[in-house]
Amino acid sequence: MGHLKEGFEIREEKPIIEFRGVSKTYNTGTHALEDVNIKINSGEFVFVVGSSGAGKSTFMKLIMREEKANTGKIVVNGFNLTKMKRKAVPLLRRTMGIVFQDFRLIPNMNVFENVAFAMHVVGADGRNIRREVTKALSLVGLGHKARSMPNQLSGGEQQRVGLARALVNSPDLIIADEPTGNVDPTMSYEIVSLLTEINKRGTTVLMVTHDHNLVRDFQHRVIMLDGGKIVADNAGGDL
Amino acid sequence: MKLGSLRYLLKEGVKNTWTNRLMTIASVGVLVACMVIIGLAVMISENVNMAMGNLEKQNVVMAYMKDYSWALYGDNTPETTNKKEKPDKNGIRKSDYVIHSEAEALALCKEIEKIPNVASVTFISSAEGLETATQAMDESQKKYFSFLKEENGNPLSCAAKVAMTDMSLFDQTVKEIEKLNGIDTIQSNGDLAEKLAAIENGIAVAGIWIIAILMIISLVIVSNTIRVTMYTRKLEISIMKAVGATDTFIRLPFVVEGMVIGIISALIAEGLLYCCYRIATETIIKTFGNVIAFGEMAWLLVLMFLGIGILSGVIGSLIMISKYLRKEGSEFAAI
Repeated sequence: MGHLKEGFEIREEKPIIEFRGVSKTYNTGTHALEDVNIKINSGEFVFVVGSSGAGKSTFMKLIMREEKANTGKIVVNGFNLTKMKRKAVPLLRRTMGIVFQDFRLIPNMNVFENVAFAMHVVGADGRNIRREVTKALSLVGLGHKARSMPNQLSGGEQQRVGLARALVNSPDLIIADEPTGNVDPTMSYEIVSLLTEINKRGTTVLMVTHDHNLVRDFQHRVIMLDGGKIVADNAGGDL
Repeated sequence: MKLGSLRYLLKEGVKNTWTNRLMTIASVGVLVACMVIIGLAVMISENVNMAMGNLEKQNVVMAYMKDYSWALYGDNTPETTNKKEKPDKNGIRKSDYVIHSEAEALALCKEIEKIPNVASVTFISSAEGLETATQAMDESQKKYFSFLKEENGNPLSCAAKVAMTDMSLFDQTVKEIEKLNGIDTIQSNGDLAEKLAAIENGIAVAGIWIIAILMIISLVIVSNTIRVTMYTRKLEISIMKAVGATDTFIRLPFVVEGMVIGIISALIAEGLLYCCYRIATETIIKTFGNVIAFGEMAWLLVLMFLGIGILSGVIGSLIMISKYLRKEGSEFAAI
């Protein structure tokens, strides 16, 4: 985390995500994306909007290398995903934190263990895990709930645990797939505020949302997809 | 992989075995049943082999030698001389070769011992042969044949009692013995030898089939348990993939779980087999006599069970998790 030093206003203009002529057609014949060209610079906060079937999910899956493009070139965090071998995918994913709409917390693990799980997976040692998990939980305001079980938390709190888990490995990029989809409007604002705070520390944030109020109120860059094409790409929250 | 991660994964694997204890118990139950059947097959086969070995030991070949006993009942020219036969370097034909002394007879026994597949050779002098023969007679017969004990009265030839290692090579070995100079006739039970060899062979083949089939069953059982575990841990796997876990990292706890199931099953199977064997042998000993003691086979069996358990655990889990990771498990965003 943290490409920017505090007090600097100018952000790096280095693309963290780059799509060049990317098309994706599924085996079923569905054309999910067509000739998409886009650049997202390091340190940006970008909303991805669009109606159902617009290609948002495919766009995100391509970035996470869950799907492979049929044509074109995708570069994420310096990895060329077009040429990437299956073995190297975990290395790409370690450079990003993923926040899911349905939180994806492991029910039989407490808050601390859920966040620590992400660090165990990348082979972190015990002391480092304790330090970083505590830091991530305080950042999302849940330091006092470290021992609580997921079912003892509200939807908003669960999503903040998910956010802490995405942050704990200090990724360069946060991908949030409708993180406010399962929480109330007040909590939605809190979560996006938290993501904005994280973004201000230098982490690039890419967030898929259906909530136009959030897009309008938070005034970040907006990429709008429709029918597998980018139909709008506006800075400042204008649609 | 770092030591810390390895420790974490091993702990996770053992923990999962307990978390999915119902599935673990089901798999252990079936695996134990398979292992006990395999163990019983091995024990039966070993016991039959031992019994066959005893039978084989009794099924010896008697090779009678052309010693000077013929001279008592004929002139100095052996009746069996074949004039057409080519004499050896000493001018003696095989057909008229005779054993003149016990030393020559013992030397011939040494020659027999050199033949491959001959396990042991025991020299039986003509006196010993007569002693054995008279022992089988009743008092009146003994009295009637008492003249045989007089000087030069014994008509029996000295002989070599030959035991073989592999009964399937019986005919071939008998032919090798017959070729030796000084051998007169051979008394053997070729049919019985053939039958014994066929029984031994049949038991070995049946044993291999039983073990192979039960190994496959064990593999399927462990694979299914791991498969169910995998689906119950779908969420964890999707998170692991999302945060950049390698396939090896995801696989290892499942492999450990499979191994733990295998080890538990092996130990239970060993104990259970011991009890079954003990109960069975108590009855068998009364009827058939000696059986192989469980202690003699205990280490071999426990190693075999551990081998089967660990192997089926590792292979079963690897097959299942690899299949899962290639298909459903690769889609972590939309589980």
